Amino acid sequence: MPESALQIPDVKLAAMLPILIVLAGAIASTVLGFNLPRRALTIINLVMLVLSGVSMVTLWDSGATAFGGGLQADNAAILLGLTILVGSIMTLLVSLDTAYRARVSFPEFDAMLMYAITGTLLIAFSGDLIVMLIGLEIMSLSGYVLATLQASRRAEESGLKYFLLGAVGSAILIYGIAFVYGATGSLSYAGIAAKASGLTPANVGILVGGALLMLAGFAFKVALAPFHQWTPDVYGGAPTSVSLFLSTVVKVAAFAGMLRVFGGALADAPGWASVLQILTAATLIIGNTAALLQRNFKRMLAYSAVAHTGFLAMCLLGTPQAGGAALGYYLLVYTLMTAAALAVVAALQRDETGMEIDDLRGLYYRHPAYAVALAVCLASLAGLPPFAGFFGKYLAFQAAFQNGYVWISVLAALTSVAALIYYLRPAMLMFMPDRTPAREYPNGQRTPTNFAVVLGVLGVTVLGVLPNIWYGWVQNPAIWLFLAGR
Amino acid sequence: MIHFMIFLPLLGSLLLLITPVRWREEVAGFFAAATLGLGIGIWRAGGADLFSINWVPSLGITYSVALDGVSLTLALVTAFMTLIAILYASRRVANPGTMLALILAMETGLIGIFAARDLILFYVFFEDALLPALLMLAIYGKSHRMRALVKFAAYTLFGSLLMLVSIIGIKSLGGSPTFALVDLAANTVTGPAQTWLYLGFLAAMAVKLPLWPLHAWLPDFHEQNHDSGIPDLMGTLYKVGGYGIFRFGIELFPDASEQLRPILMGLAAFTALYAAWIAFRQTNWKRLLAYAGLSHMGFVALGVFSLNETAVIGAMYLLAFQNVYTGALFLAVGMLQERIGSLDTRVGGVMNQAGALGGLTMALWFASIAVPGFAGFVGEFSILLGAYQVQPWITFVAGLTTIAAAVYALSAFQTTFWQGRPLGGIKVADLHGTEWLVLGLPLAVALFFGVYSAPAINLIQPAVKTVLAALGAN
Repeated sequence: MPESALQIPDVKLAAMLPILIVLAGAIASTVLGFNLPRRALTIINLVMLVLSGVSMVTLWDSGATAFGGGLQADNAAILLGLTILVGSIMTLLVSLDTAYRARVSFPEFDAMLMYAITGTLLIAFSGDLIVMLIGLEIMSLSGYVLATLQASRRAEESGLKYFLLGAVGSAILIYGIAFVYGATGSLSYAGIAAKASGLTPANVGILVGGALLMLAGFAFKVALAPFHQWTPDVYGGAPTSVSLFLSTVVKVAAFAGMLRVFGGALADAPGWASVLQILTAATLIIGNTAALLQRNFKRMLAYSAVAHTGFLAMCLLGTPQAGGAALGYYLLVYTLMTAAALAVVAALQRDETGMEIDDLRGLYYRHPAYAVALAVCLASLAGLPPFAGFFGKYLAFQAAFQNGYVWISVLAALTSVAALIYYLRPAMLMFMPDRTPAREYPNGQRTPTNFAVVLGVLGVTVLGVLPNIWYGWVQNPAIWLFLAGR
Repeated sequence: MIHFMIFLPLLGSLLLLITPVRWREEVAGFFAAATLGLGIGIWRAGGADLFSINWVPSLGITYSVALDGVSLTLALVTAFMTLIAILYASRRVANPGTMLALILAMETGLIGIFAARDLILFYVFFEDALLPALLMLAIYGKSHRMRALVKFAAYTLFGSLLMLVSIIGIKSLGGSPTFALVDLAANTVTGPAQTWLYLGFLAAMAVKLPLWPLHAWLPDFHEQNHDSGIPDLMGTLYKVGGYGIFRFGIELFPDASEQLRPILMGLAAFTALYAAWIAFRQTNWKRLLAYAGLSHMGFVALGVFSLNETAVIGAMYLLAFQNVYTGALFLAVGMLQERIGSLDTRVGGVMNQAGALGGLTMALWFASIAVPGFAGFVGEFSILLGAYQVQPWITFVAGLTTIAAAVYALSAFQTTFWQGRPLGGIKVADLHGTEWLVLGLPLAVALFFGVYSAPAINLIQPAVKTVLAALGAN
């Protein structure tokens, strides 16, 4: 082939298909929104998400890549992508019922959601820092809009806060990417991983600086302390279905990015692990103790999301094989239980501020099924067997412990006690007899929301009793050995 | 058969949710009786051998269960007392469906704890028994239950999470392929790491026992529970700490157990005496019983920690039968409360009108304070006998408890059942119907095994010998 011939980029449709399907849904929502009612769009989007999931499953073990490795549909991407889809489907199901009440029932809401999902999938499938960054920005920008869509002061405030702090996080992240590029001369994960060992001392310094800046940037996105301050305000202020999306799907995607970058590209780079361990410790302490003081149930769930970030980050402290497997399992479980808990809140709340914890008193006698479902979710979040949260926590402890981080496992165990108290208090209040009139929204029980709740509760129970159904897939170390690509 | 015995109650508990209201008591009773029947069947067959299959192969977690010796004794007692609890709950609690379901669900957790031969499985059952206990307290508790609940949950979970870290450490540092007890015992951790892991493990067990200073949840837990005493009865069955130390602690941490023996024995003896002393000051029957139970558990701990064969046998014997008579006492207190509307120990003169209730309560108290001829005596005497050979002075201190026990038990009994009947006191009805069975059967068991201890000892002794042999090997 002569030098001057036109270079055809390495575009392979197969690897991109899952993302393209979701993108098609986003574009359809944008265009068709003028003609179709929103509910119809939501149903189309649900079908798109399922189709995307099917196309991911067909890619299993194929190792397809596109753009010269810039996009890679390896098994790790597929597992994380499926987790993202589960969270997204639950979000759409809940929004079918609650979007109207939350005054966000217009096609743009669906379009933004689908764009955000496209971005999250791009992160999970990314093979270099630029694709990851593009995905992250698509996700974040859509997220800012989603948080602000509702016409209320609280939503505007939370959206603005999210935007300002998120922009700072992105800027730091981009700065870090520049440093890493400067040190290694490569943007692809595989290239960085190959060059990370064997750098000159001066370049090692730059690499460490870049890794730390990227860590800080990601810490904003996943809400690691001390970069977590936006979380309770945004999760608490946004409409509940948006909080559900932000606290599950967006977090899964951000962790997928962290896993790619720190478990793959920078696995051998020095420095970041010791900083991450301090951030994790701070998150565990701050998240758990702050949640203990909340009066509002939705805000408490927001802090619980911060606390869970600490447990999830413990997985990153493990070796890529053990940690990746733990994270792969935990993220799905976390999505199921958090989404189901917020779905119950979305169904029962009177307005978008959620409910006070005291309002839950006697829920069992008014809505027995919701009360039991919420209790299961809370028990799972607390890590009580036989629910799947227990194995998630166990795997996180094990990943950190086996890699030598013994003291952080002990710290996690101690802070979990606080977690158990704030999860148990509402769970137990629900079962206490109460004679005061109900404080719930009277017509909250609708089929799609119930379906999402059932999906979450069944998921955490089945995965708790038979963890192998999912862990059998994610535990294969070969999946996580090549996070940076081959 | 062993799987049926473990999971039959849970099945019954779930079935109860769809059973029509008027059949609930019968269905619950049937499941409790069937479980006990299965247990006796296993006993007749000479115990159930180890059954082990992979549960989560990639993590090395197995489903290993066995019911023999000590486990079988404790499982049988659990099944027996569950039946008694169901018998009483059906009569006493209004609309008892939820309560019966919770009792059955808890039974599965408890039998599972005794049957588990895999550390993770043990942990799973350990936590599972907790959920029904919390729900019973939440649904049926009294006005300050939230504080009691949080205290109870915080203490127990604090312990179990440290145990979880310890469990991970045992496998990871010892290099065992699975969490099954057989494999772990073959790959024990040595050196200082063993001591640290033992302390983590001990944290969970000491809370459950409970051992001073981790006992503060216990009195509140009992005081805030339903008046009938049924949740308390399940709560006393909950004391699996002694069993856990015996089954897993001694085998997995032989060096650390010997190293820490004097300290732990001292703590145990102090717990026994301190609890008895506090029990003396109580004016609420439930709190009194809670501290009495705590005192007994101090004895159990003394026996287990001494690592002496006679003492360990005694400890397991006491652990099993303490459940029977203390449980029955909680129910007797519930009956008293039903009649006079108070749990105060200074009521006076109940004996005049309710002679049978008073008589049976007194007999149960005799069992509790280890009067010879009752099962408690066999246990406490063996513990003192064995522990004396190891630490005479500590044992002497613990022995003083028996005097204190007689003082608190008899003085409280005296102020409630004898003394003068207050003027204008309501008429107290005597025992009727199933109440005779509820108090009589446990008393008969305590009396039978106090006089003829061979069947239980024959079960317990070989198991204790095996466990302590592992200690000598190292």
